[in-house]
Amino acid sequence: MRRTLILTLWLVADLAAFLLAYALSYVLRVGPILSTDFPLNPYLQVAAVVAPLWLLVLVSAKSFSLFADQRSLRQVASLAYAAVVGAALFALGYYFAFGLFFSRLLLAMALVFTFIMSLLIHWLFDAWRRSFLRHDPPVYPTLIVGLTRESKALIERLNGMRSPFRPVAILDGRGTKETEVDGVPVLGRLNLLEETIAQKKITHLIQCSDLEQSINLLSACRSRGLTYMMLPSVLGIIGDEERVEMLEGLPVTIVEPASRAWWRKAF
Amino acid sequence: MHCFILAGGFATRLWPLTERRAKPLLPLAGKPLLTRIVESIPEGVAITASTNAEFAESMAEWQKTLDRPVTVIVEKTRNDKEKLGALGALAQWMRDTNVQEDILLLAGDNYLGFKMSDFLASYTPGVPLLAVREIGDLAAASKFGTAVLHPGSRRMALYEEKPKEPKSSLVSTTCAVFPPSVFPLILNYSLTHPDNNGGVWEQFLLNGVPCEAFPFTEAWFDIGSYEAYLAATVALVGENVEKNPTATLADSVTRGSVVLGANAMVKRSELTDTVLFEDCVVEDCVLDRCILDRGCVLKGVDLSGKMLRAGTTLTR
Repeated sequence: MRRTLILTLWLVADLAAFLLAYALSYVLRVGPILSTDFPLNPYLQVAAVVAPLWLLVLVSAKSFSLFADQRSLRQVASLAYAAVVGAALFALGYYFAFGLFFSRLLLAMALVFTFIMSLLIHWLFDAWRRSFLRHDPPVYPTLIVGLTRESKALIERLNGMRSPFRPVAILDGRGTKETEVDGVPVLGRLNLLEETIAQKKITHLIQCSDLEQSINLLSACRSRGLTYMMLPSVLGIIGDEERVEMLEGLPVTIVEPASRAWWRKAF
Repeated sequence: MHCFILAGGFATRLWPLTERRAKPLLPLAGKPLLTRIVESIPEGVAITASTNAEFAESMAEWQKTLDRPVTVIVEKTRNDKEKLGALGALAQWMRDTNVQEDILLLAGDNYLGFKMSDFLASYTPGVPLLAVREIGDLAAASKFGTAVLHPGSRRMALYEEKPKEPKSSLVSTTCAVFPPSVFPLILNYSLTHPDNNGGVWEQFLLNGVPCEAFPFTEAWFDIGSYEAYLAATVALVGENVEKNPTATLADSVTRGSVVLGANAMVKRSELTDTVLFEDCVVEDCVLDRCILDRGCVLKGVDLSGKMLRAGTTLTR
Protein backbone atom coordinates (compact mmCIF):
# COMPACT_ATOMS: atom_id res chain seq x y z
CA MET A 1 0.00 0.00 0.00
CA ARG A 2 2.79 2.41 0.98
CA ARG A 3 4.69 1.48 -2.19
CA THR A 4 1.62 2.13 -4.39
CA LEU A 5 0.95 5.46 -2.73
CA ILE A 6 4.49 6.72 -3.14
CA LEU A 7 4.73 5.44 -6.72
CA THR A 8 1.45 7.11 -7.70
CA LEU A 9 2.52 10.44 -6.20
CA TRP A 10 5.91 10.13 -7.87
CA LEU A 11 4.40 9.53 -11.32
CA VAL A 12 1.99 12.42 -10.87
CA ALA A 13 4.82 14.68 -9.70
CA ASP A 14 6.92 13.70 -12.74
CA LEU A 15 4.05 14.47 -15.12
CA ALA A 16 3.48 17.83 -13.43
CA ALA A 17 7.21 18.58 -13.61
CA PHE A 18 7.28 17.87 -17.35
CA LEU A 19 4.37 20.22 -17.99
CA LEU A 20 5.84 22.83 -15.67
CA ALA A 21 9.22 22.65 -17.42
CA TYR A 22 7.57 23.35 -20.79
CA ALA A 23 5.31 26.08 -19.36
CA LEU A 24 8.30 27.74 -17.68
CA SER A 25 10.28 27.65 -20.92
CA TYR A 26 7.34 29.29 -22.70
CA VAL A 27 7.09 32.04 -20.11
CA LEU A 28 10.83 32.70 -20.14
CA ARG A 29 11.12 32.66 -23.90
CA VAL A 30 7.82 34.14 -25.08
CA GLY A 31 7.09 36.29 -22.05
CA PRO A 32 4.43 36.42 -19.36
CA ILE A 33 1.90 38.01 -21.74
CA LEU A 34 0.35 35.29 -23.87
CA SER A 35 1.29 35.54 -27.54
CA THR A 36 -1.32 35.27 -30.28
CA ASP A 37 1.33 34.23 -32.84
CA PHE A 38 2.49 31.37 -30.66
CA PRO A 39 -0.45 30.59 -28.33
CA LEU A 40 0.13 28.72 -25.08
CA ASN A 41 -2.92 26.46 -25.33
CA PRO A 42 -1.90 24.22 -28.26
CA TYR A 43 1.66 24.28 -26.97
CA LEU A 44 0.55 22.80 -23.63
CA GLN A 45 -1.80 20.36 -25.34
CA VAL A 46 1.15 18.84 -27.19
CA ALA A 47 3.19 18.80 -23.95
CA ALA A 48 0.31 16.99 -22.21
CA VAL A 49 0.22 14.34 -24.95
CA VAL A 50 3.99 13.87 -24.93
CA ALA A 51 4.28 13.76 -21.09
CA PRO A 52 3.00 10.14 -20.70
CA LEU A 53 5.32 9.02 -23.50
CA TRP A 54 8.23 10.68 -21.72
CA LEU A 55 7.15 8.86 -18.56
CA LEU A 56 7.16 5.56 -20.45
CA VAL A 57 10.77 6.19 -21.40
CA LEU A 58 11.59 6.63 -17.71
CA VAL A 59 9.68 3.47 -16.78
CA SER A 60 11.50 1.49 -19.48
CA ALA A 61 14.80 2.75 -18.04
CA LYS A 62 13.67 1.31 -14.65
CA SER A 63 13.93 4.76 -13.09
CA PHE A 64 11.24 3.97 -10.52
CA SER A 65 12.60 0.56 -9.58
CA LEU A 66 13.39 -0.17 -5.95
CA PHE A 67 16.82 -1.21 -7.14
CA ALA A 68 17.55 2.09 -8.89
CA ASP A 69 20.00 4.35 -7.06
CA GLN A 70 18.81 7.79 -8.13
CA ARG A 71 22.22 9.33 -7.43
CA SER A 72 24.08 6.90 -9.67
CA LEU A 73 25.53 8.10 -12.96
CA ARG A 74 23.38 5.55 -14.75
CA GLN A 75 20.14 7.01 -13.38
CA VAL A 76 21.20 10.61 -14.01
CA ALA A 77 22.07 9.61 -17.57
CA SER A 78 18.65 7.94 -17.93
CA LEU A 79 16.92 11.14 -16.87
CA ALA A 80 19.00 13.16 -19.35
CA TYR A 81 18.24 10.65 -22.09
CA ALA A 82 14.50 10.76 -21.28
CA ALA A 83 14.58 14.58 -21.39
CA VAL A 84 16.16 14.48 -24.86
CA VAL A 85 13.58 11.96 -26.07
CA GLY A 86 10.82 14.13 -24.53
CA ALA A 87 12.04 17.23 -26.37
CA ALA A 88 12.31 15.32 -29.64
CA LEU A 89 8.82 13.90 -29.25
CA PHE A 90 7.50 17.37 -28.40
CA ALA A 91 9.09 18.92 -31.51
CA LEU A 92 7.75 16.14 -33.71
CA GLY A 93 4.32 16.29 -32.07
CA TYR A 94 4.05 20.03 -32.50
CA TYR A 95 5.11 19.81 -36.13
CA PHE A 96 2.71 16.95 -36.86
CA ALA A 97 -0.19 18.78 -35.16
CA PHE A 98 0.39 22.28 -36.47
CA GLY A 99 2.85 21.98 -39.34
CA LEU A 100 5.11 24.50 -37.66
CA PHE A 101 8.48 24.61 -35.97
CA PHE A 102 9.25 27.14 -33.27
CA SER A 103 12.08 28.61 -31.23
CA ARG A 104 15.04 26.23 -30.94
CA LEU A 105 16.10 27.99 -27.75
CA LEU A 106 12.69 27.32 -26.18
CA LEU A 107 13.08 23.64 -26.96
CA ALA A 108 16.59 23.59 -25.48
CA MET A 109 15.33 25.35 -22.34
CA ALA A 110 12.45 22.88 -21.99
CA LEU A 111 14.92 20.00 -22.31
CA VAL A 112 17.21 21.40 -19.62
CA PHE A 113 14.32 22.25 -17.28
CA THR A 114 12.81 18.78 -17.76
CA PHE A 115 16.12 17.20 -16.84
CA ILE A 116 16.74 19.40 -13.79
CA MET A 117 13.19 19.16 -12.46
CA SER A 118 12.93 15.41 -12.95
CA LEU A 119 16.35 14.98 -11.31
CA LEU A 120 15.28 16.97 -8.25
CA ILE A 121 11.98 15.13 -8.01
CA HIS A 122 13.67 11.73 -8.30
CA TRP A 123 16.17 12.62 -5.57
CA LEU A 124 13.39 13.92 -3.34
CA PHE A 125 11.12 10.93 -3.83
CA ASP A 126 14.01 8.50 -3.49
CA ALA A 127 14.86 9.94 -0.08
CA TRP A 128 11.21 9.88 0.95
CA ARG A 129 10.74 6.33 -0.34
CA ARG A 130 13.73 5.05 1.64
CA SER A 131 12.40 6.52 4.86
CA PHE A 132 8.72 5.77 4.18
CA LEU A 133 9.14 2.11 3.20
CA ARG A 134 11.69 1.36 5.89
CA HIS A 135 10.02 2.54 9.05
CA ASP A 136 8.25 0.00 11.29
CA PRO A 137 6.80 -2.25 10.13
CA PRO A 138 9.08 -2.28 7.07
CA VAL A 139 7.37 -2.84 3.72
CA TYR A 140 10.17 -5.13 2.54
CA PRO A 141 11.51 -7.16 5.48
CA THR A 142 14.55 -8.94 4.09
CA LEU A 143 16.10 -12.18 5.26
CA ILE A 144 19.85 -12.62 4.95
CA VAL A 145 21.04 -16.21 4.55
CA GLY A 146 24.67 -16.83 5.40
CA LEU A 147 26.98 -14.83 7.59
CA THR A 148 30.12 -13.91 5.68
CA ARG A 149 32.29 -10.83 5.25
CA GLU A 150 30.23 -9.97 2.17
CA SER A 151 26.90 -10.36 3.95
CA LYS A 152 28.09 -8.16 6.81
CA ALA A 153 29.12 -5.49 4.33
CA LEU A 154 25.74 -5.85 2.61
CA ILE A 155 23.78 -5.45 5.84
CA GLU A 156 25.81 -2.41 6.86
CA ARG A 157 25.29 -0.88 3.42
CA LEU A 158 21.55 -1.56 3.36
CA ASN A 159 21.22 0.03 6.78
CA GLY A 160 23.66 2.86 6.06
CA MET A 161 21.93 3.77 2.79
CA ARG A 162 18.51 3.36 4.42
CA SER A 163 17.57 0.92 1.67
CA PRO A 164 13.88 0.03 1.31
CA PHE A 165 15.07 -3.58 1.74
CA ARG A 166 15.50 -3.69 5.48
CA PRO A 167 17.38 -6.71 6.86
CA VAL A 168 15.34 -8.08 9.76
CA ALA A 169 16.92 -11.48 10.38
CA ILE A 170 19.95 -13.60 9.56
CA LEU A 171 20.10 -17.38 9.22
CA ASP A 172 23.41 -19.13 8.86
CA GLY A 173 23.71 -22.67 7.52
CA ARG A 174 26.92 -23.30 9.41
CA GLY A 175 25.71 -22.08 12.78
CA THR A 176 27.73 -18.97 13.58
CA LYS A 177 28.21 -17.92 17.19
CA GLU A 178 27.58 -14.26 16.40
CA THR A 179 24.26 -13.00 17.69
CA GLU A 180 23.76 -9.86 15.63
CA VAL A 181 25.22 -7.75 12.84
CA ASP A 182 24.54 -4.02 12.79
CA GLY A 183 21.45 -4.56 14.92
CA VAL A 184 20.11 -7.44 12.80
CA PRO A 185 19.64 -10.60 14.91
CA VAL A 186 21.17 -13.95 13.95
CA LEU A 187 18.27 -16.32 14.63
CA GLY A 188 19.93 -19.67 13.94
CA ARG A 189 20.39 -22.20 11.18
CA LEU A 190 18.38 -22.93 8.06
CA ASN A 191 16.01 -25.26 9.91
CA LEU A 192 14.34 -22.04 11.12
CA LEU A 193 13.71 -20.84 7.55
CA GLU A 194 9.95 -21.45 7.37
CA GLU A 195 9.38 -20.17 10.89
CA THR A 196 11.43 -17.02 10.24
CA ILE A 197 9.71 -16.28 6.93
CA ALA A 198 6.31 -16.59 8.60
CA GLN A 199 7.13 -14.70 11.79
CA LYS A 200 9.01 -11.83 10.20
CA LYS A 201 6.69 -11.63 7.17
CA ILE A 202 9.71 -11.80 4.87
CA THR A 203 9.28 -10.46 1.32
CA HIS A 204 12.86 -10.72 0.05
CA LEU A 205 15.62 -13.24 0.70
CA ILE A 206 19.27 -12.60 -0.06
CA GLN A 207 21.53 -15.63 -0.23
CA CYS A 208 25.06 -14.74 0.84
CA SER A 209 26.60 -18.23 1.28
CA ASP A 210 25.68 -21.95 1.33
CA LEU A 211 25.73 -22.39 -2.45
CA GLU A 212 24.59 -26.01 -2.07
CA GLN A 213 21.25 -24.77 -0.73
CA SER A 214 20.41 -22.45 -3.66
CA ILE A 215 17.74 -24.76 -5.07
CA ASN A 216 16.09 -25.18 -1.68
CA LEU A 217 16.12 -21.46 -0.93
CA LEU A 218 14.68 -20.77 -4.37
CA SER A 219 12.05 -23.43 -3.76
CA ALA A 220 11.10 -21.81 -0.43
CA CYS A 221 10.90 -18.40 -2.12
CA ARG A 222 8.78 -19.73 -4.98
CA SER A 223 6.34 -21.52 -2.72
CA ARG A 224 5.82 -18.40 -0.60
CA GLY A 225 6.01 -15.81 -3.36
CA LEU A 226 9.20 -14.17 -2.08
CA THR A 227 11.81 -12.45 -4.21
CA TYR A 228 15.15 -14.28 -4.18
CA MET A 229 18.48 -12.50 -4.59
CA MET A 230 22.02 -13.82 -4.44
CA LEU A 231 25.34 -12.14 -3.83
CA PRO A 232 27.83 -12.88 -6.64
CA SER A 233 30.36 -13.92 -3.99
CA VAL A 234 28.29 -17.10 -3.42
CA LEU A 235 29.47 -18.18 -6.87
CA GLY A 236 33.00 -17.00 -6.15
CA ILE A 237 32.58 -13.78 -8.12
CA ILE A 238 34.54 -11.26 -6.11
CA GLY A 239 36.05 -8.08 -7.49
CA ASP A 240 34.70 -8.67 -11.00
CA GLU A 241 31.72 -7.18 -12.78
CA GLU A 242 28.80 -9.46 -13.51
CA ARG A 243 25.56 -9.07 -15.35
CA VAL A 244 22.89 -11.26 -16.86
CA GLU A 245 22.68 -11.16 -20.66
CA MET A 246 20.93 -13.19 -23.30
CA LEU A 247 23.08 -15.56 -25.36
CA GLU A 248 21.10 -16.63 -28.42
CA GLY A 249 17.91 -16.19 -26.42
CA LEU A 250 19.11 -17.98 -23.29
CA PRO A 251 20.05 -16.13 -20.10
CA VAL A 252 23.71 -16.34 -19.07
CA THR A 253 25.66 -14.65 -16.32
CA ILE A 254 28.60 -12.71 -17.72
CA VAL A 255 31.63 -12.03 -15.56
CA GLU A 256 34.28 -9.64 -16.76
CA PRO A 257 37.30 -8.17 -14.98
CA ALA A 258 36.33 -4.86 -13.40
CA SER A 259 39.54 -3.37 -14.82
CA ARG A 260 38.52 -3.92 -18.44
CA ALA A 261 38.26 -0.68 -20.46
CA TRP A 262 34.73 0.74 -20.65
CA TRP A 263 34.75 0.83 -24.44
CA ARG A 264 35.54 -2.89 -24.59
CA LYS A 265 32.55 -3.60 -22.32
CA ALA A 266 30.32 -1.28 -24.35
CA PHE A 267 31.11 -3.00 -27.62
CA MET B 1 15.40 -53.63 30.70
CA HIS B 2 14.06 -50.39 29.25
CA CYS B 3 15.34 -48.92 25.99
CA PHE B 4 15.66 -45.16 25.73
CA ILE B 5 16.14 -43.79 22.21
CA LEU B 6 17.50 -40.27 21.76
CA ALA B 7 15.57 -38.58 18.97
CA GLY B 8 15.45 -35.00 20.22
CA GLY B 9 18.01 -33.37 17.92
CA PHE B 10 17.13 -30.67 15.39
CA ALA B 11 19.32 -32.13 12.63
CA THR B 12 20.29 -28.76 11.25
CA ARG B 13 22.99 -30.24 9.01
CA LEU B 14 20.43 -32.36 7.19
CA TRP B 15 18.20 -29.41 6.35
CA PRO B 16 16.00 -29.40 4.30
CA LEU B 17 15.30 -33.14 4.65
CA THR B 18 14.57 -32.57 8.32
CA GLU B 19 12.38 -29.53 7.74
CA ARG B 20 9.20 -31.41 8.64
CA ARG B 21 10.44 -34.66 10.17
CA ALA B 22 12.86 -35.73 12.86
CA LYS B 23 16.18 -37.05 11.60
CA PRO B 24 15.52 -40.60 12.93
CA LEU B 25 12.39 -40.66 10.78
CA LEU B 26 14.31 -40.21 7.54
CA PRO B 27 13.73 -43.24 5.37
CA LEU B 28 16.88 -45.30 5.06
CA ALA B 29 16.63 -47.68 2.11
CA GLY B 30 12.87 -47.26 2.13
CA LYS B 31 12.21 -47.57 5.86
CA PRO B 32 12.51 -44.97 8.64
CA LEU B 33 15.76 -45.39 10.54
CA LEU B 34 13.86 -45.35 13.83
CA THR B 35 11.66 -48.21 12.64
CA ARG B 36 14.79 -50.21 11.85
CA ILE B 37 16.09 -49.52 15.35
CA VAL B 38 12.81 -50.49 17.02
CA GLU B 39 12.66 -53.70 14.97
CA SER B 40 16.18 -54.59 16.12
CA ILE B 41 15.27 -54.41 19.81
CA PRO B 42 14.23 -57.78 21.27
CA GLU B 43 10.60 -58.27 22.27
CA GLY B 44 10.05 -57.75 25.96
CA VAL B 45 12.23 -54.65 26.15
CA ALA B 46 10.07 -51.60 26.77
CA ILE B 47 10.91 -48.67 24.47
CA THR B 48 10.75 -44.93 25.04
CA ALA B 49 11.83 -42.39 22.42
CA SER B 50 12.54 -38.79 23.27
CA THR B 51 11.84 -36.06 20.73
CA ASN B 52 11.39 -32.29 20.70
CA ALA B 53 8.24 -30.20 20.32
CA GLU B 54 9.13 -29.33 16.72
CA PHE B 55 8.92 -32.95 15.58
CA ALA B 56 6.24 -34.20 18.00
CA GLU B 57 3.65 -34.41 15.26
CA SER B 58 5.79 -36.45 12.86
CA MET B 59 6.76 -38.78 15.71
CA ALA B 60 3.10 -39.28 16.61
CA GLU B 61 2.38 -40.22 13.00
CA TRP B 62 5.30 -42.64 13.00
CA GLN B 63 4.05 -44.27 16.22
CA LYS B 64 0.89 -45.33 14.38
CA THR B 65 2.92 -47.31 11.85
CA LEU B 66 4.45 -49.62 14.48
CA ASP B 67 3.19 -52.99 15.55
CA ARG B 68 4.69 -52.77 19.04
CA PRO B 69 4.20 -50.12 21.71
CA VAL B 70 6.70 -47.28 21.87
CA THR B 71 6.28 -44.42 24.30
CA VAL B 72 7.20 -41.03 22.86
CA ILE B 73 8.09 -38.26 25.27
CA VAL B 74 8.30 -34.70 24.01
CA GLU B 75 10.88 -32.20 25.24
CA LYS B 76 9.42 -28.70 25.37
CA THR B 77 12.10 -27.37 23.07
CA ARG B 78 11.63 -25.81 19.65
CA ASN B 79 15.17 -24.90 18.63
CA ASP B 80 18.84 -25.75 19.08
CA LYS B 81 19.37 -23.14 21.79
CA GLU B 82 16.70 -24.61 24.08
CA LYS B 83 17.53 -28.30 23.71
CA LEU B 84 18.28 -30.33 26.79
CA GLY B 85 21.23 -32.23 25.36
CA ALA B 86 21.40 -36.00 24.98
CA LEU B 87 22.42 -36.72 28.55
CA GLY B 88 20.06 -34.03 29.84
CA ALA B 89 17.13 -35.70 28.07
CA LEU B 90 18.06 -39.11 29.46
CA ALA B 91 18.46 -37.73 32.98
CA GLN B 92 15.15 -35.89 32.85
CA TRP B 93 13.36 -39.08 31.81
CA MET B 94 15.14 -41.02 34.57
CA ARG B 95 14.01 -38.48 37.14
CA ASP B 96 10.47 -38.25 35.82
CA THR B 97 9.89 -42.01 35.70
CA ASN B 98 12.18 -43.01 38.58
CA VAL B 99 13.28 -45.94 36.43
CA GLN B 100 14.96 -48.73 38.39
CA GLU B 101 15.81 -51.27 35.71
CA ASP B 102 18.72 -51.56 33.28
CA ILE B 103 18.65 -48.89 30.57
CA LEU B 104 19.57 -49.63 26.96
CA LEU B 105 20.56 -46.29 25.47
CA LEU B 106 20.42 -45.84 21.69
CA ALA B 107 20.74 -42.88 19.34
CA GLY B 108 17.89 -42.51 16.88
CA ASP B 109 20.24 -41.33 14.15
CA ASN B 110 22.74 -44.20 14.40
CA TYR B 111 22.54 -47.23 12.17
CA LEU B 112 24.29 -50.20 13.77
CA GLY B 113 25.03 -53.24 11.64
CA PHE B 114 25.34 -55.78 14.48
CA LYS B 115 22.50 -57.76 16.01
CA MET B 116 21.12 -56.09 19.11
CA SER B 117 20.52 -59.51 20.62
CA ASP B 118 24.28 -60.22 20.39
CA PHE B 119 25.02 -56.93 22.09
CA LEU B 120 22.57 -57.57 24.91
CA ALA B 121 23.81 -61.14 25.31
CA SER B 122 27.27 -59.76 26.06
CA TYR B 123 25.95 -57.64 28.93
CA THR B 124 27.18 -58.66 32.37
CA PRO B 125 24.47 -57.69 34.87
CA GLY B 126 25.53 -54.67 36.90
CA VAL B 127 28.45 -53.74 34.62
CA PRO B 128 27.96 -50.80 32.22
CA LEU B 129 28.42 -51.88 28.61
CA LEU B 130 29.42 -49.74 25.62
CA ALA B 131 29.47 -50.67 21.93
CA VAL B 132 32.80 -49.62 20.40
CA ARG B 133 34.09 -49.83 16.86
CA GLU B 134 37.65 -50.01 15.58
CA ILE B 135 37.98 -47.30 12.91
CA GLY B 136 41.73 -47.76 12.39
CA ASP B 137 42.51 -44.05 12.18
CA LEU B 138 43.92 -42.27 15.24
CA ALA B 139 43.46 -38.80 13.74
CA ALA B 140 39.80 -39.45 12.97
CA ALA B 141 39.32 -40.97 16.42
CA SER B 142 39.98 -37.59 18.06
CA LYS B 143 36.46 -36.55 17.03
CA PHE B 144 34.92 -39.36 19.12
CA GLY B 145 35.17 -40.85 22.56
CA THR B 146 37.93 -43.46 22.55
CA ALA B 147 38.31 -46.55 24.70
CA VAL B 148 41.39 -48.58 25.64
CA LEU B 149 40.68 -52.14 26.75
CA HIS B 150 42.70 -54.38 29.03
CA PRO B 151 44.68 -56.82 26.84
CA GLY B 152 42.64 -59.87 25.92
CA SER B 153 39.62 -58.58 27.78
CA ARG B 154 36.46 -56.56 27.23
CA ARG B 155 37.17 -54.56 30.40
CA MET B 156 37.73 -50.89 29.78
CA ALA B 157 41.06 -49.55 31.04
CA LEU B 158 40.68 -45.98 29.83
CA TYR B 159 38.06 -43.78 28.23
CA GLU B 160 38.74 -40.32 26.81
CA GLU B 161 36.10 -38.06 25.29
CA LYS B 162 37.36 -36.41 22.07
CA PRO B 163 41.04 -36.57 23.06
CA LYS B 164 43.56 -34.38 21.25
CA GLU B 165 45.98 -37.30 21.06
CA PRO B 166 43.97 -40.51 21.09
CA LYS B 167 45.61 -43.59 22.53
CA SER B 168 43.24 -45.85 20.64
CA SER B 169 41.12 -45.83 17.51
CA LEU B 170 38.42 -47.89 19.22
CA VAL B 171 35.63 -45.32 19.25
CA SER B 172 32.45 -45.17 21.24
CA THR B 173 28.93 -45.24 19.82
CA THR B 174 25.71 -44.17 21.45
CA CYS B 175 24.76 -47.75 22.17
CA ALA B 176 25.14 -48.66 25.83
CA VAL B 177 23.59 -50.43 28.77
CA PHE B 178 23.50 -48.72 32.17
CA PRO B 179 22.70 -50.72 35.30
CA PRO B 180 20.81 -48.91 38.11
CA SER B 181 24.00 -48.79 40.21
CA VAL B 182 25.41 -46.02 37.97
CA PHE B 183 22.22 -43.93 37.81
CA PRO B 184 23.33 -41.51 40.57
CA LEU B 185 26.57 -40.82 38.68
CA ILE B 186 24.67 -40.18 35.44
CA LEU B 187 22.16 -37.87 37.12
CA ASN B 188 24.88 -35.95 38.88
CA TYR B 189 27.07 -35.57 35.79
CA SER B 190 24.13 -34.53 33.60
CA LEU B 191 23.59 -31.43 35.77
CA THR B 192 26.88 -29.93 34.61
CA HIS B 193 27.39 -31.71 31.26
CA PRO B 194 23.92 -32.18 29.74
CA ASP B 195 25.29 -32.64 26.22
CA ASN B 196 28.30 -34.82 27.00
CA ASN B 197 26.98 -38.31 26.60
CA GLY B 198 30.40 -39.90 26.38
CA GLY B 199 31.70 -38.10 29.44
CA VAL B 200 29.81 -40.47 31.76
CA TRP B 201 32.26 -43.25 30.87
CA GLU B 202 35.14 -41.12 32.15
CA GLN B 203 33.13 -40.56 35.32
CA PHE B 204 32.44 -44.27 35.78
CA LEU B 205 36.15 -45.11 35.51
CA LEU B 206 37.14 -42.19 37.74
CA ASN B 207 34.75 -43.52 40.36
CA GLY B 208 36.13 -47.04 40.10
CA VAL B 209 33.11 -48.51 38.33
CA PRO B 210 34.18 -51.44 36.15
CA CYS B 211 33.02 -50.99 32.55
CA GLU B 212 32.90 -53.38 29.63
CA ALA B 213 33.00 -52.86 25.88
CA PHE B 214 31.35 -54.62 22.96
CA PRO B 215 33.78 -54.27 20.06
CA PHE B 216 32.15 -54.76 16.66
CA THR B 217 33.22 -54.60 13.05
CA GLU B 218 29.86 -54.40 11.32
CA ALA B 219 28.60 -51.23 9.64
CA TRP B 220 27.96 -48.15 11.74
CA PHE B 221 26.63 -44.88 10.42
CA ASP B 222 26.02 -41.75 12.42
CA ILE B 223 23.57 -40.15 10.01
CA GLY B 224 24.17 -36.49 10.66
CA SER B 225 24.97 -35.16 7.22
CA TYR B 226 24.13 -35.53 3.53
CA GLU B 227 27.34 -37.51 2.98
CA ALA B 228 26.66 -39.89 5.88
CA TYR B 229 23.04 -40.42 4.78
CA LEU B 230 24.11 -41.26 1.25
CA ALA B 231 26.95 -43.50 2.47
CA ALA B 232 24.51 -45.42 4.68
CA THR B 233 22.11 -45.81 1.75
CA VAL B 234 24.88 -47.08 -0.52
CA ALA B 235 26.00 -49.55 2.17
CA LEU B 236 22.48 -50.89 2.74
CA VAL B 237 21.20 -50.95 -0.82
CA GLY B 238 24.40 -51.89 -2.65
CA GLU B 239 24.35 -51.87 -6.45
CA ASN B 240 20.59 -52.24 -6.54
CA VAL B 241 17.30 -50.41 -6.94
CA GLU B 242 15.23 -50.41 -3.75
CA LYS B 243 11.80 -49.73 -5.20
CA ASN B 244 8.58 -49.33 -3.28
CA PRO B 245 5.87 -51.52 -4.87
CA THR B 246 3.88 -48.38 -5.73
CA ALA B 247 6.82 -46.66 -7.45
CA THR B 248 7.28 -46.56 -11.25
CA LEU B 249 10.59 -46.83 -13.09
CA ALA B 250 10.30 -46.68 -16.87
CA ASP B 251 12.74 -46.25 -19.76
CA SER B 252 15.47 -45.25 -17.31
CA VAL B 253 19.03 -46.18 -16.44
CA THR B 254 20.13 -46.66 -12.83
CA ARG B 255 23.64 -46.96 -11.45
CA GLY B 256 24.82 -47.66 -7.92
CA SER B 257 22.26 -47.43 -5.13
CA VAL B 258 18.86 -46.06 -6.09
CA VAL B 259 15.88 -45.84 -3.75
CA LEU B 260 12.38 -45.01 -4.96
CA GLY B 261 9.80 -44.19 -2.29
CA ALA B 262 6.06 -44.75 -2.40
CA ASN B 263 4.36 -43.43 -5.56
CA ALA B 264 7.64 -42.11 -6.95
CA MET B 265 7.64 -42.00 -10.75
CA VAL B 266 10.79 -41.99 -12.90
CA LYS B 267 10.69 -41.84 -16.69
CA ARG B 268 13.40 -41.48 -19.31
CA SER B 269 16.05 -40.59 -16.73
CA GLU B 270 19.49 -41.58 -15.47
CA LEU B 271 19.85 -42.03 -11.72
CA THR B 272 23.13 -42.68 -9.91
CA ASP B 273 23.25 -43.17 -6.11
CA THR B 274 20.01 -41.25 -5.75
CA VAL B 275 17.16 -41.40 -3.25
CA LEU B 276 13.62 -40.31 -4.08
CA PHE B 277 11.18 -39.97 -1.20
CA GLU B 278 7.43 -40.40 -1.60
CA ASP B 279 5.44 -38.88 -4.49
CA CYS B 280 8.44 -37.59 -6.46
CA VAL B 281 8.15 -37.23 -10.24
CA VAL B 282 11.33 -37.30 -12.35
CA GLU B 283 11.20 -37.14 -16.14
CA ASP B 284 14.03 -36.64 -18.65
CA CYS B 285 16.55 -35.94 -15.89
CA VAL B 286 20.10 -36.93 -15.02
CA LEU B 287 20.50 -37.14 -11.25
CA ASP B 288 23.78 -38.03 -9.55
CA ARG B 289 24.05 -38.37 -5.75
CA CYS B 290 20.80 -36.52 -5.15
CA ILE B 291 18.24 -36.85 -2.38
CA LEU B 292 14.76 -35.62 -3.24
CA ASP B 293 12.30 -35.07 -0.42
CA ARG B 294 8.58 -35.78 -0.71
CA GLY B 295 6.64 -34.43 -3.70
CA CYS B 296 9.52 -33.04 -5.78
CA VAL B 297 8.81 -32.63 -9.49
CA LEU B 298 11.81 -32.51 -11.84
CA LYS B 299 11.49 -32.43 -15.61
CA GLY B 300 14.37 -31.92 -18.00
CA VAL B 301 17.06 -31.00 -15.46
CA ASP B 302 20.49 -32.38 -14.58
CA LEU B 303 21.56 -32.22 -10.94
CA SER B 304 24.55 -33.50 -9.02
CA GLY B 305 25.10 -33.68 -5.25
CA LYS B 306 21.87 -31.96 -4.18
CA MET B 307 19.35 -32.36 -1.37
CA LEU B 308 16.00 -30.95 -2.46
CA ARG B 309 13.35 -29.77 -0.04
CA ALA B 310 9.84 -31.20 -0.15
CA GLY B 311 7.70 -29.91 -2.97
CA THR B 312 10.52 -28.46 -5.08
CA THR B 313 9.43 -28.06 -8.69
CA LEU B 314 12.02 -27.66 -11.44
CA THR B 315 10.57 -28.09 -14.90
CA ARG B 316 11.52 -26.84 -18.35
